[in-house]
Amino acid sequence: MTGLPILEISKISKSYGAVKAVNDVSLHVGRGEIAGLIGPNGSGKSTFFDCSTGLQRPDAGTVKLDGQDITGWSLNRIAREGRMLRSFQKTVVFKALDVEENLVIAGQMFTFPSLFSTFGIGRLSKKRISGLRDRARELIKMAGLWDVRHQPAGNLSGGQQKLIQFASMLMPEPKIILLDEPMAGINPKIIERVIETILYANKSLGVSFLVIEHNIDVVTSICQRVVVLDQGKKLVEGLPHDIIADERVREAYLGG
Amino acid sequence: MSLADTAQQIRRRDLRLPLAAILVVVALAAPFIGSRYVTHSLIIALIFMLPAHGLNLLVGYTGLLSLAQAAFFGIGAYAAGLLAVHYGTPFYVNATAAGLLAGACALPLGIPALRLRATSFVMCTLGFVIIGQAIAKNWISVTRGDMGLSAIPKPHFALGPLSFTVSGTTSFYYMALAIGALATLAVWMIVRSPAGRNMIAIRENETLAESLGVPTWRYKLLVFIISAVFAGVGGSLYAHYLTVVSPLTFQMYYSTTMLIIVLGGGAGTISGVVFGSLLFVGLTEALRITPELRMIAYGLCLLVLVFWFKKGFAPVLNRFWDMIGGAK
Ligand SMILES: Nc1ncnc2c1ncn2[C@@H]1O[C@H](COP(=O)(O)OP(=O)(O)O)[C@@H](O)[C@H]1O
Ligand SMILES: [Mg+2]
Repeated sequence: MTGLPILEISKISKSYGAVKAVNDVSLHVGRGEIAGLIGPNGSGKSTFFDCSTGLQRPDAGTVKLDGQDITGWSLNRIAREGRMLRSFQKTVVFKALDVEENLVIAGQMFTFPSLFSTFGIGRLSKKRISGLRDRARELIKMAGLWDVRHQPAGNLSGGQQKLIQFASMLMPEPKIILLDEPMAGINPKIIERVIETILYANKSLGVSFLVIEHNIDVVTSICQRVVVLDQGKKLVEGLPHDIIADERVREAYLGG
Repeated sequence: MSLADTAQQIRRRDLRLPLAAILVVVALAAPFIGSRYVTHSLIIALIFMLPAHGLNLLVGYTGLLSLAQAAFFGIGAYAAGLLAVHYGTPFYVNATAAGLLAGACALPLGIPALRLRATSFVMCTLGFVIIGQAIAKNWISVTRGDMGLSAIPKPHFALGPLSFTVSGTTSFYYMALAIGALATLAVWMIVRSPAGRNMIAIRENETLAESLGVPTWRYKLLVFIISAVFAGVGGSLYAHYLTVVSPLTFQMYYSTTMLIIVLGGGAGTISGVVFGSLLFVGLTEALRITPELRMIAYGLCLLVLVFWFKKGFAPVLNRFWDMIGGAK
């Protein structure tokens, strides 16, 4: 079992009109691995995520999660039943709701067995919610958001919102998390914090990761393997240090 | 925060409980305080509060703008009217049937409509009202067309050998008040449940909610059906109160009235809808005495709302509530 990758994506393609955003890309993430996905802007990284997580329907290709074929599943089903969570390049949080509520919402569908059971307000329902609240508080502490936990998420800085988004994804005890540029536009102190949290989730909670990241220092320090996309195609794949040294990768970034 | 502030805070008494008690007493004693006309206006307000509560779940909590509420109101009114006229069934049977039929109709209408984008969805729900009216007009063998249903019996209750007819305005008021209170309680329970939190998540950011495992589409459909059930029950009260139902029950004016109650009272708040019903329906009903001034007053009310109370009256109510609670 351990030999089997947690996520195995084969020959995904997706076009927007004439633009071949993703062209026959295959990629896998091993159990417990932190894999990186890099490439110049517009090379199809986000689209690849969208097709893998059910936000977009790929034109071709298959997605296998933990041995199960999940091609064609909706975004919410992949999250709920597959426990594969994802973040968005443009950070999103429930702006009007406070930090704690953001996390409680993130955990709800994993605690209640059905849609109908979420309408309950009895003792069982209250117990489930208070369990979620406890878990939320733990994660809030870990993310360093304790002092602002009752503030509306929209009032907080971009970096803090990234942390909320990240902590939310840890609520459901995920198998794998896909992060789309988690470090973009945040200050170095929070970058440290995000790296710490990723490593904690990976080591202590056993979460695998696929991370899109431009910050090459971050990539080399946390990723065990890196895949490079260029113009929708997979260019190379290998160890971070080999990738940095690779001529084709340099060319792709410089040549654009 | 100085010492003086704190002292004042301690001195100020919490007046919320007394005020709530007064409101309950006023609600219970209303038919004996005001004239018959006031009681009538309150009944109309209570009738419209039901579809407004349902619409609030949809617009205020889930973030879906719908104009279909009058269609489900009409379906409920016809269902209750037909049952009462042809079978003389007790009120609770008619009201239940009205709610269930409205909910059942919402299912096939909601499935395609909710696939549309927000603006198209609004247009589509507008279509439901127009189609409802056309059916009421043309399905003459059942609805009697433009003549409508008349002489709908006053609501009666039958429990074993006991039977009771709600004949007067005062007794109808108490029946409507009880149903209104139950509906308010039901909304409160839905909103407080984890599902209510998911609805708010959908309103705030649908894609994010979806990415966190919330089956947004199924929630939207379910809330659409629930909102129709509220409207259907409201329609049954309407039919039994007016004792006539015509194709005009399916009218856009009703849908917009229900929307104004929700938006004007305060979308996403329960107290706002209760207050909005009293203000926008009770008041316009009361203003019927001066027909010339009525529409002007109504229009002015809307203008005040748009310019000064962008989030409806609910924030004002909340501030007042906190204030009498002794908070700063
Ligand atoms: N929703 C969309 N509609 C049309 N074109 C899109 C859409 N999303 C992405 N694209 C196009 O697909 C290509 C890849 O974009 P994207 O996946 O965002 O790249 P990256 O994340 O690597 O910067 C770009 O040319 C972009 O313009
Ligand atoms: Mg991108």
